[in-house]
Amino acid sequence: MSRFNQVSSVQESKFKPLEHYGAVTALKIYKNYIIAGYGPTLKIFDSSSNFLLIFSRQIFGRNKIHSISVSGSDNESIFIAGGRSFAILNLNNLEDIDASETIEHAINEWIVCGQFLDQNTLLVLTAHNIIFKINPETFEFIEKIHCNEKSILYSGSIRITDSGQVIIAAGTVMSGVLIWDYHSRRVLYNLTDHEGSIFGVKIDPSANFIISCSDDRSIKLYDFHTGKLLSTGWGHGSRIWNLEFCTEINGTLRLFSTGEDCTARLWEYSGSESLKLVSVMDCHLGKHVWSGDIDDKSLELCVTGGADGRIIIHDLSAKTSTINSVTSSHTMDDIAKQTGATFEKKELIKQYSELPLLNILVILTSKGKIFTLNQTSQKWSKCETPQSTEKLGDFGLMKSFPESNAVVATSRNGDILVMNFEGSNVSKNYWIEDEYLLGNKVANLIIESNLAKNEYYVLIDCPNPKSPLVLRTFKLDEGTFKLSSTNLLQQPDQSSFTTTCMWKDEVNNWLLLGSRYVSVAIYDLDSEKNKDGHINLGQIFKKLSIGDTITSVSIISTKKEAVRFLMTVRDGVYMYIDIVFENGDFQLNIIHHNKISRGFVEGGFIENNDLILYGFRSSYFYVFNESQQLEITNELCGGAHRQWEFLRYKECDPLDFKFIYINKSTLHIKCFQNRFHKVAGVTGGNIINYGTHGREIRDVSVSPAYQSNNSDSTRLIMTASEDTIVRLGRIHFNGKIESFWCLNGHISGLQKVKFFTREYAASSAANEEFCLWKINESGDIPLVVEFARLKPSSSNPDLRIMDFDAIPQFDEGGQVIGFILCTVYSDSNIKVWFFDVSKKSFDLLVVGNYTTCCILNVHFLTIEEKTFIMIGATDGHIALWDIGNSITARTSTCDTLGNPIIKQQLHQSGIKAVLLLNKKDNDYSIVTGGDDNALILSKLTYRSEEDGFLLETESFIERAASATITSISKLDESNVIVTSVDQIVRRWAIQEDSSLKCISARYTTIADTGCSDVAHFGGKSIAVIGGAGLSSWECK
Amino acid sequence: MGKSSKDKRDLYYRRAKEEGWRARSAFKLLQLNEQFQLFKDVKRVVDLCAAPGSWSQVLSRELYQTQKNSHDEAKIVAVDLQPMTPIDGVTTLQADITHPKTLVKIMDIFGGEPADFVCSDGAPDVTGLHDLDEYLQAQLILSALQLTTCLLKPGGTFVAKIFRGRDIDLLYAQLSYLFDKVVCAKPRSSRGTSLEAFIVCIGYKPREGWTPKLELNKSAEEFFEGANIGRSDNLKFFELPDPEERVIANFIACGDLSDVDSDATYTLDASESRVVLDPVQMPTSPPYKLALEMKRRGDLVRR
Ligand SMILES: C[S@@+](CC[C@H](N)C(=O)[O-])C[C@H]1O[C@@H](n2cnc3c(N)ncnc32)[C@H](O)[C@@H]1O
Repeated sequence: MSRFNQVSSVQESKFKPLEHYGAVTALKIYKNYIIAGYGPTLKIFDSSSNFLLIFSRQIFGRNKIHSISVSGSDNESIFIAGGRSFAILNLNNLEDIDASETIEHAINEWIVCGQFLDQNTLLVLTAHNIIFKINPETFEFIEKIHCNEKSILYSGSIRITDSGQVIIAAGTVMSGVLIWDYHSRRVLYNLTDHEGSIFGVKIDPSANFIISCSDDRSIKLYDFHTGKLLSTGWGHGSRIWNLEFCTEINGTLRLFSTGEDCTARLWEYSGSESLKLVSVMDCHLGKHVWSGDIDDKSLELCVTGGADGRIIIHDLSAKTSTINSVTSSHTMDDIAKQTGATFEKKELIKQYSELPLLNILVILTSKGKIFTLNQTSQKWSKCETPQSTEKLGDFGLMKSFPESNAVVATSRNGDILVMNFEGSNVSKNYWIEDEYLLGNKVANLIIESNLAKNEYYVLIDCPNPKSPLVLRTFKLDEGTFKLSSTNLLQQPDQSSFTTTCMWKDEVNNWLLLGSRYVSVAIYDLDSEKNKDGHINLGQIFKKLSIGDTITSVSIISTKKEAVRFLMTVRDGVYMYIDIVFENGDFQLNIIHHNKISRGFVEGGFIENNDLILYGFRSSYFYVFNESQQLEITNELCGGAHRQWEFLRYKECDPLDFKFIYINKSTLHIKCFQNRFHKVAGVTGGNIINYGTHGREIRDVSVSPAYQSNNSDSTRLIMTASEDTIVRLGRIHFNGKIESFWCLNGHISGLQKVKFFTREYAASSAANEEFCLWKINESGDIPLVVEFARLKPSSSNPDLRIMDFDAIPQFDEGGQVIGFILCTVYSDSNIKVWFFDVSKKSFDLLVVGNYTTCCILNVHFLTIEEKTFIMIGATDGHIALWDIGNSITARTSTCDTLGNPIIKQQLHQSGIKAVLLLNKKDNDYSIVTGGDDNALILSKLTYRSEEDGFLLETESFIERAASATITSISKLDESNVIVTSVDQIVRRWAIQEDSSLKCISARYTTIADTGCSDVAHFGGKSIAVIGGAGLSSWECK
Repeated sequence: MGKSSKDKRDLYYRRAKEEGWRARSAFKLLQLNEQFQLFKDVKRVVDLCAAPGSWSQVLSRELYQTQKNSHDEAKIVAVDLQPMTPIDGVTTLQADITHPKTLVKIMDIFGGEPADFVCSDGAPDVTGLHDLDEYLQAQLILSALQLTTCLLKPGGTFVAKIFRGRDIDLLYAQLSYLFDKVVCAKPRSSRGTSLEAFIVCIGYKPREGWTPKLELNKSAEEFFEGANIGRSDNLKFFELPDPEERVIANFIACGDLSDVDSDATYTLDASESRVVLDPVQMPTSPPYKLALEMKRRGDLVRR
């Protein structure tokens, strides 16, 4: 009876699913509820209580929820369907649903959608364009209804119109939209304006319009009464999956779409042949916004769900949303009219600073005139200052101290104007004449403040190497800014040091300066002065990364003789850096380094452990939560080349921003507020459900525990997806997976990721990419840098590093000093390296070739202190080499790999997964899984120097899965977890008699099941399964 | 679609160009034939989802050139959604095989005579929703199987592309009712990283007590009702059906181990890689051609 699949369901209770992260396949807004199909799980969030998750339960055993509808009647039933499954739940007594009761029903065809006709009738549309009429109480079949056109549907919907008509809209595989009437069973229209498959089609509630979208990347709007095409919308970069109608206001119809290009879009129809694109929401990761819904009337929001597993809400309210909110704009003419001032022909607004306590904006023109804008009354007034401010013309730089209502400005020669404001006017002002620059020109004016100490710092930088940097400290004394001290700082000994930003650390009294060319200078302000009376440069650190200007530095944490700060570089790089003072020297250590792919970064800050970055991307200014990978807001401002100011109001709300900029000589003031900023505790809000990669996960690795502490309840986890992203996160004892960073070091699709120790991990990809990552866990969240990278040996982008393995080398103190590393390639190459941690160098020890076929995996084996490498390849063979001598000698010349000492075929084709278990000193058990569905247990015995190895098959399970076996992970010495693309996870035990037995098999909701690892928490083991999503299961 | 440079480094792709095949898929059928002698005693063939036509080319060469059949003795019918450039001795039909009309048309071309061999290399445009893609693939196979049960001679062979994902064991179980032998075959020219494989179903045995009948307004599901091949019908109250029959078919890797490995990266000699090979088949135009043109013209502004 071996014909039957014996391993599709076995003792399922030995696996307990904990968490699942994967595609959001359906979304529906009903009243104040957001109802989501999260794979087979139904989740309901309540928007009236901060989007609290009020219901979450796996409804279907295997199928994913693709469609949701709610009966509008009093009993408020929810219909959900996906694949062949459907179910009905009562929204009003969700708590009463018995968890052990199966409410899943099935039709033997794919279900497209369903709709309640009335209390006693449910209509279900199948992919063959057939309506099943079913009694929703008893589930009795009533009737099948069709229009005689049973072509296969990709999409469809049932509309019960306000006037009681029932219309079916069906989207077929080939270009056609069929609109038919349920009662007459007649086809009303066959609309063939699209090319390719139709992925969405809907009719509005009053049956005036039809909308459809397709493979041709367009949206089409038709007149329901005539079937005539009214308008077409172009703009999506790839396929469009979903469409919704919004409310019609004053004859303008709004539409909402989501698509493969990761965007959701709002469109407007007001009679023209093309739909107007109103807004683009770029909000998910990887590919595909699979689902979305909109309520622009009462909740004033839309919601999107992506392949990345995230559910995101978008604000549509007129007051706060980015789409609708108004910018206040001002031209020179406006100012002249209001104040009676006369401007010269080419006079422009040069500088502006805000004083939020007074709610005024102070501006400086190119002729040195100063004006203020009362932002409450929107009135401009000219500032009358006793002394002339003319010398601020042409060059003047101006900055404000928001907390103290003071503004400072410098002229080109370094004279400083200090102003205090009351209302919209200057209350006090005076000039400080320069004594130090000796006629040299000012390059930059930088300020900083310390409210606790009542100290305000003003730094003047002058590029002349002979001039010192001038740091003045002011104190606020009865409403007046008073100079309290002046420090002169030795110029960093580098002609190219141009200060661009600074930070003063109060604990150590250190001053940190950032410059162009990614250089940083540090001063100890308490240190002794040199003969010129200048404070000596503490240390300069040059070229911390490739790139140009450091755009911001800010302290993250500080303690005696140690500061940690955040640094952003214009080209998109950001770093967390430690500077410590040790043995009389400043030492700098980059502990986190990454680059965002969004565009240029002008600055950043940390809020609630999340890193927020802002800058420009083409014509836009953006604010981005890098930790959550979510754009908080953006503004179409024309691009980076302009005067601009980004202001935050920490006291009110950390995410209230103001962005002030000049575009075409007009001053624009844009306020950002976020209605949903507190949702789910996410900085920037808007995410009501977390997810993972937006593309398929190729590999997953869980870190070991800290050596010192086996009882800690989290492990680090790294995942690598096909789209070049490596994620670093933590997996908790309860199976929850938290993500911290998306690492962008790779440019090719990933193959593998692996932890070597708690501190070191590596990843490999096509293009011969291999990155070694170093993780720092000294702060609240783990930080990571690309520690080293292998140089590619050829220019062939197809050459993939398929796998790698490493043996860490320790010094006497237990510190890692290096790795013996083996990399294997898709062109059958094998390379063994020694990586030296202190030199960050890779020395090639051995190089060789297997055959010409692609090598799939590699493992090191150690027997009697001798080292071997074992590979598995696409030809179904296992091969083994002795590389002991090459490693111990570690000579400067590299050895060539000889013939393998073992080469034996185990599988018919590719050996996709290998697990080594060290049984006894000289014996290994090898479990292999192949493309051929087989699982094999072999014994590798080392007999002696002369007799070599013996590889014997102990157990051969020909049908261990119904499709390719993709990974094998160790549960314990005699139990392994095996994944296969048949979407069944199995646990096999190695029994006393050395045979394999499947002791548990359970369906996983992760499609394309491709990788796994096991996290061991003392007595509890959690398997992590990756593919099109990520799941964690407890293994009992 | 234009060929990427990746394809240019693919040895099967290059060999296809050199040997005059319209697609590298030709090697999949050739390697399957090497293993199963599919073409033995075969004269009348249906090639479903055939565009651009390399399988039809292989069949045409085999039936007319190798076996030296005359155009009256042999018959090849090739069907695809896409248009196909004519091939010697091949009748082409541009149609959707999931539509019952198409199947009726094919039957008409055969004029009541049975076919000896039915093959289908069909694949839908994948959406990325795995369950939907699997369903659509299953529909292609089911449609091909509908035709097969109506047209294939008893003892004949049916070959179809499958994607080995979840529930493939349900299909194996159903096919086992209709054929003496069902094998899952993976030619070496099919990439190991892809889920693609082929079911080779040998020895067609019509179901006793069931007469397959194509009707224009019957869906594939309705067609197989009563065939008793282990497909679950709707239950009285639409309950979830009991565990369905699942079978794991034998797996056979075909093609010689010394054949080119489609997963491996080969470094071409400078002289080899410099030879530019023209595409044998002109690329077909995708549904989003206009969208691409508009993008190129800059008509798709972001806002
Ligand atoms: C991989 S190609 C076939 C290649 C072909 N065997 C050759 O060797 O040239 C898959 C084909 O399936 C076709 N196809 C997909 N769905 C179809 C359908 N419903 N009816 C007909 N052809 C279909 C596609 O148009 C595509 O040309």
